[in-house]
Amino acid sequence: MNVVITPAMVGQVVISGILAGALYAMVALGLALIYGVMRVINIAHGPLLMLGAYTTFFLYSAFGLNPYLSVPVTMAALFVVGVVLQRSLVFRVVDAPELSSLLLTFGVSIGLVNLAQLAFTSDLRAVEYLTGSIPLGPFALSKTRLVAFAFAAGVTALAFLFLQRTRLGKAIRATSQSPEVAMVCGIDVRRIHMLTFGLATALAAAGGALLAVIVAIQPEMGQVWTFKSFLVIVLGGAGNYPGALLGGMLLGLVEQGASLFLTTQLSEVVAYLLLVVVLLVRPTGLLGGRQT
Amino acid sequence: MLVAALAVYPAFGTGYGVRAMLQIFMWIALAGSWNIISGLTGYVSFGHVAFFGAGAYAGAILIAKAGWPWVLAAPAGGAAACALALVIGYPCLRLKGPYFAIAMLGLNEVLRALVSYFEGLTGGGSGLSLPTLHATVPIYYAMAGTAAAVTLLTFLIITSRFGLRLMTIREDELAAEAMGIDTARHKLYAFLLSAAGPGIAGALAARDQGYIEPISVFPLATTITMIVMALFGGKGTVWGPVFGAAVLFVAQELVWARFPYVHQLLFGAIIVAVVLLMPRGVLGILQVKYRLPRTI
Repeated sequence: MNVVITPAMVGQVVISGILAGALYAMVALGLALIYGVMRVINIAHGPLLMLGAYTTFFLYSAFGLNPYLSVPVTMAALFVVGVVLQRSLVFRVVDAPELSSLLLTFGVSIGLVNLAQLAFTSDLRAVEYLTGSIPLGPFALSKTRLVAFAFAAGVTALAFLFLQRTRLGKAIRATSQSPEVAMVCGIDVRRIHMLTFGLATALAAAGGALLAVIVAIQPEMGQVWTFKSFLVIVLGGAGNYPGALLGGMLLGLVEQGASLFLTTQLSEVVAYLLLVVVLLVRPTGLLGGRQT
Repeated sequence: MLVAALAVYPAFGTGYGVRAMLQIFMWIALAGSWNIISGLTGYVSFGHVAFFGAGAYAGAILIAKAGWPWVLAAPAGGAAACALALVIGYPCLRLKGPYFAIAMLGLNEVLRALVSYFEGLTGGGSGLSLPTLHATVPIYYAMAGTAAAVTLLTFLIITSRFGLRLMTIREDELAAEAMGIDTARHKLYAFLLSAAGPGIAGALAARDQGYIEPISVFPLATTITMIVMALFGGKGTVWGPVFGAAVLFVAQELVWARFPYVHQLLFGAIIVAVVLLMPRGVLGILQVKYRLPRTI
């Protein structure tokens, strides 16, 4: 590789990595919540993100709703979807062996992707809004990525405030530490499960909504996000909510860094190798152990 | 008797019929192999089609570029798949169940990327063509043999102590380790065994089709179908995947092969339904109801 790495390039990588990282962190937080509270590995997380993107797209093309204004709307709509999913299907495998929850969410994810393909076709959709980038010295900041970062950071911060400061948030954290003790304390664990799943879906949907202006929308877009969200959680430590932030940033940086040296095709491989290495070397994640 | 009927079928079956039976055998081999790792050890492999694709590519490359006859290329495909299983399984099977599943999820995409990258050898995105050969009938027998071998292998495993240990791992891995079972090694063996079938089947399928490209040999749909068939028929049983493969393939051909997205949607729904309503599959239900032996 005779590429000369200039400081400007490194800087660009760091900036792009951070911009992307917040989005990863937000979506992964949702997945972390589901795993932490219910011990369910939600393979359908990516498809839920995809549904968020489509919701924003349709709100935009049918009602001309500003894609950024549609973020809360999309989140609310998919919150409901999440609660319904949990109440109808997921709750049955919460206490079951992991094999069951894996297979169930796998089945749901296939169902969602194919429903989307039937309903929306595989044609690529896009929301054209805010194109171009803002130059900042030697760096270029993509406008859509910048706004996505702002939203993602904001939503994630709100989520953490919710988890730390509100009674419901604390109830969620209590349930993820120990459902039995939470029940003894008077927490309605089943309601918490529904709430958590809805919240996680809303987070994924927000990611989808923000992505709607950045990438092409198609039914399969979510699949890779499921995997990357898991990677983030593994990096940060399963059950460790702040770990999702760290993991997200790390993934963003590693990905951007890898694309500097390798083709984009191979940077996916890098993400995968990173996962395997981390799982072998430090399976409890960088922030270690379970701590909410 | 059934065996005799299947054996002479190509003599009077239609071209379509022989092809269809060939596919059923292929699915039996695939679903049965998935069953060996996922049904017996409980380690869900979401990327099993990787071995099918690896075998297909290995076989195709040997046939197209090195001029091997397919009879030799097919086992070579199986060996290549096993080698891949070793490389992947060695690190990944040390992980506990859910992490292994996640790792397998990513495997598909990685392999597709790798195949596209190593274009010189594999023909990249535009695929690889094999010299034309009308060998459907011999391949029918080869595939039938593979399906039979996988089923026999499953039977041998389930009735052996090795199989018992695998199932112990499935039920409670911690207890298994406490009892002194080297779980990582057992899982690895099961994984290797489960990769051979798809590898051979992949090479045979590649030969039969005459042409492969990344998208056709690494589709998620293949993994999904494998899983549905094994689940529906009864994972962890010997004849479950056979039953599941036969029934679902026929149903699919008769009813919904024409609607590809409905087809997958249905499979997704079947997976959900099986997990919720009959987690042990059709054969599992029959086992309980009629007190059939465990080795069915």
